Amino acid sequence: MTLIVIPLLPLAAALWALFPQRGRAAAGATMAAAAAAAGAAWSVALRSAAGAPTVAISGWIACDGLGALALVLVAGVNLSAAIFSYGYVSARLAPAGSRAERRYYVDYNLFAGSLLLVPLLSEPALVWIAIELTTLLSVFLVGFTRTRGALEAAWKYVVLTLMGAAIALLGFLLLYWALRGAGGAAFTWDGLTAAAPRMPAGLMQAAFLLVLVGLGAKLGLVPLHTWVPDAYRHAPAPVCALLSGAEATVVLYAILRLVPVAAGVPGAHAGGWLIGFGLLSVGVAVFLILQASDYKHVFAYSTIEHMGIILVAAGLGGALASYGAAAQVLAHSVTKTFCFLAAGAAAVVTPRREIQGLLRISPVAGAALLLGGLAIAGAPPLAVFLSEFTIFRAGFAERYPIAAALLAGFVAVGFFAVMAHVNRAVFGRAGVRKVIPLPGACVFALAAASVPVLWLGVYVPRPVLGLLHQAALWIGR
Amino acid sequence: MVQSAWAVALNDLAGGLFLLTAVALVVVRQVQACLAAFVLESVLLAASAFILAAASGIPDLVAVGLITIAVKAVLLPWLLRGTVPEEIYTRRELSQLVNVPASLLIALALTLAAYLIAVPLAPAQDAFIRVNLPIGLAGLFISALSLVTRREAVPQLVGLLAMENGAFLAGVSIAPDLPLIAELAASFDVLVIVLVMGILTRAIHEHVGTTDIVELVERSDEEEL
Amino acid sequence: MAAHMLFNVIQALTVLLLSPLVKGVLDRWKERVQSRRGPTIWQPYRDLWKLFQKDEVVSDQSSWIFRATPYVVFTMPLFVTLLIPALTTYPLFFAFMGDMLGAGFLLAFGGFFAALAAVDTTNPYGAMGASRTRMVGFLAEPVFIIVFFTISFVAGSTIPYIVQQQWVSPPSNFFEPSHVLIMLAFLMLLLAEAGRIPVDSPSGHFELAMIDESKNLEYSGRGAALMNWGGAMKFMVLQLVFLNVLVTPWGLAQTPSLAAVMLAIPLVFSKILVLLAVLTVIESSLAKLRLFRITEFLGAAFVIATVAMITRIF
Repeated sequence: MTLIVIPLLPLAAALWALFPQRGRAAAGATMAAAAAAAGAAWSVALRSAAGAPTVAISGWIACDGLGALALVLVAGVNLSAAIFSYGYVSARLAPAGSRAERRYYVDYNLFAGSLLLVPLLSEPALVWIAIELTTLLSVFLVGFTRTRGALEAAWKYVVLTLMGAAIALLGFLLLYWALRGAGGAAFTWDGLTAAAPRMPAGLMQAAFLLVLVGLGAKLGLVPLHTWVPDAYRHAPAPVCALLSGAEATVVLYAILRLVPVAAGVPGAHAGGWLIGFGLLSVGVAVFLILQASDYKHVFAYSTIEHMGIILVAAGLGGALASYGAAAQVLAHSVTKTFCFLAAGAAAVVTPRREIQGLLRISPVAGAALLLGGLAIAGAPPLAVFLSEFTIFRAGFAERYPIAAALLAGFVAVGFFAVMAHVNRAVFGRAGVRKVIPLPGACVFALAAASVPVLWLGVYVPRPVLGLLHQAALWIGR
Repeated sequence: MVQSAWAVALNDLAGGLFLLTAVALVVVRQVQACLAAFVLESVLLAASAFILAAASGIPDLVAVGLITIAVKAVLLPWLLRGTVPEEIYTRRELSQLVNVPASLLIALALTLAAYLIAVPLAPAQDAFIRVNLPIGLAGLFISALSLVTRREAVPQLVGLLAMENGAFLAGVSIAPDLPLIAELAASFDVLVIVLVMGILTRAIHEHVGTTDIVELVERSDEEEL
Repeated sequence: MAAHMLFNVIQALTVLLLSPLVKGVLDRWKERVQSRRGPTIWQPYRDLWKLFQKDEVVSDQSSWIFRATPYVVFTMPLFVTLLIPALTTYPLFFAFMGDMLGAGFLLAFGGFFAALAAVDTTNPYGAMGASRTRMVGFLAEPVFIIVFFTISFVAGSTIPYIVQQQWVSPPSNFFEPSHVLIMLAFLMLLLAEAGRIPVDSPSGHFELAMIDESKNLEYSGRGAALMNWGGAMKFMVLQLVFLNVLVTPWGLAQTPSLAAVMLAIPLVFSKILVLLAVLTVIESSLAKLRLFRITEFLGAAFVIATVAMITRIF
């Protein structure tokens, strides 16, 4: 029952925001819905961490370890982004109580609802549709400011990701065919995994590649990554947080679901394709970071980098690598959300693309950006460092030393590239005339989002650890 | 499954014409012609579904065909007309990145590639899959090409939907008993795509088509981030 | 044997005598569709008669090629007629001499001489027309080759008498995509090769825009008559190849009796009338393409033919 309610909560908030109301009730309703969804997701995650999947309608709506990890991450990102929006929207986008503000919250909640839907569905065809919906419902958020650049970015985003979705659609249809050919009964993730050993290798390989390339477009994997910089630059900061922290997570979740299926077919070379695509994306992303023009681009490209790292980890196979992949999903989602919120805070205090000396303009925003940069680049002892280190160790342990070494090299270059950009933005002299104070909601959201960033590196709480282990089990089966 | 020679031949024909309309989408020069080619392509997809339904006796496929015609051949042009400004429609001589003979040759190469990939996957005894799978894949590739070479909004939208058509052409043969709910949801999805992209096209047309330079200069300082 | 020779002669005479009528019907119908009265369908015969009565003027700058060309252009379609199934489904006396490629060579030979003769007189329009014809020709060449490859691959033979049976045995073969697409591609080729709209405008009188017609500008009297007649026969032969070999063998004589062959003449002619109706629609609804758009037209034909081949091979 909880599962069905979770995606309906943002939907209710969207409906609420549709009608005119006094004050900032739309923003309040959004925050309330996000908090309720986060609470419900947390309760589902607790149950999954103990190894008990939650089932609402068998074969259609259910949530196991991996699903719970994605669900709780989306709900968490949604909550912090909703709180941040309360301050950000009125400071940057639309006056409080205006029509534009309501439009923002309608779109925002629909987007959040579609994101929460993906990890709950058991049937791949419906998951595909839900993922398509996440694209369609986020288009107007990306192009929210209606400037020329924003509209072009939205167009690029929707065309490329829908192009990927069409490719993935054929992949899912091939999967269904393979399932039928193998005598599998139910078209669910579990049914696919069970029937995998009897599927023909060539068919599985084609289906997996189509899904990987197609859904990869939404992750920004390299053949279809050109929408990434524009979309992240023009989208409002909370939307960026959702795009990178939540949308990438759920799409990645769908790919990770298929990894055990493809790995279960001998001769489908699933691991090799994952490592190949992953390394390619990491490599290209690192060099794009080096020549990025501003720190928002840096964070955007670093999303591609981290998606690539996770795919490599999933491709390595084995318990340690699977755990590394799950931990990296968690670390990336938590950290990148914080990064984009910090970028949003910087945008609020000084609305320019090229910033310098942020620490002097606004100590809060500057410190947040610095922390975000360090955390996402993988500085010890923060969460990203831990999970990346796990993946390297797994790479050497699983006898893929070349891949692991390449990955380590790319990540090291990426570290310096990210820090170079962040340093330039944070330190130095401030050349800005006017400073806009940071709204309280933004400060609160930043503080709340920084807790897991700082904490998960030094101590992983017991339920979270259980959840990660459960998720790793589903990835590495 | 008994596959009568007539059903196989007719399905082959629908497939061959489908491939031609896919190629036509890449090369036609007018928005209206592009849309007409897409409608024809959708009708051919539905025809293939009907032929397969008659041959294999799976009633779902009739529904798939009917939904395809209703959504893609009837509702979609009507919806587009409602959302996209008239001026975009009457546009002729669309600009293209690659000239026509070159895109024809690329389309041919893509078709060949699709056959080389798909034919080994298809079982030798199923004449429907042997036609629909490679042609569907080729349709997917060629429509992706049209997305790359086109610079106009409506042809790009049509290209996207044509990619889906390609996937579904393969789908009616390889997954004829896919749950109907997925099919319905996908058709709904098509309508949302058209609506969203139509509105976006309108917005772009309004903002970029009537570019107000003064406003752009004023905003350029405040813009971004 | 003697009967087969007789049928062969009947076949050649049919093309010889009916080809001006085909042209006349098409011209008349086109005028009618465009709400004009138009000449009678016998007008081409009158034109030929008139031209044969007139004196011939030959430039003293021209060589023997100029004088020989009308005869070559006139006879080549007749030779082709001997090879193809014009009236019968079984091969006749001379059919052993060549297959479809042979027929193609014969027609190309006539075209080659026409182009040479056009250059021969040093009339600038002649050379221009010849070069344009060659351009269309070399663009059409790959399409021809793919079409021949495909049909010979399908039928396992290049003999037109074998190919034509392929499409109707069993009858569902008629709807094979390779067949339908080949028909489409060949129809486009026919338009290009016979100089019809949208590739060329046969009724235009503006020399700069001419492709096919400008090669005949220098001819007068008997030479002009033979060139025109040869052109009409070539058009009809192409139609016969299209209708009898590529579309269906319906309406042809099945048995070697004189009655059956004589009956085939009106049946085949009615098939031609149907094709003429299609051509009338095409020519009245399309505009002539700009010269460089012809590439795209024939490129499309190439794609269609190749798709036909691909759907067949795999």
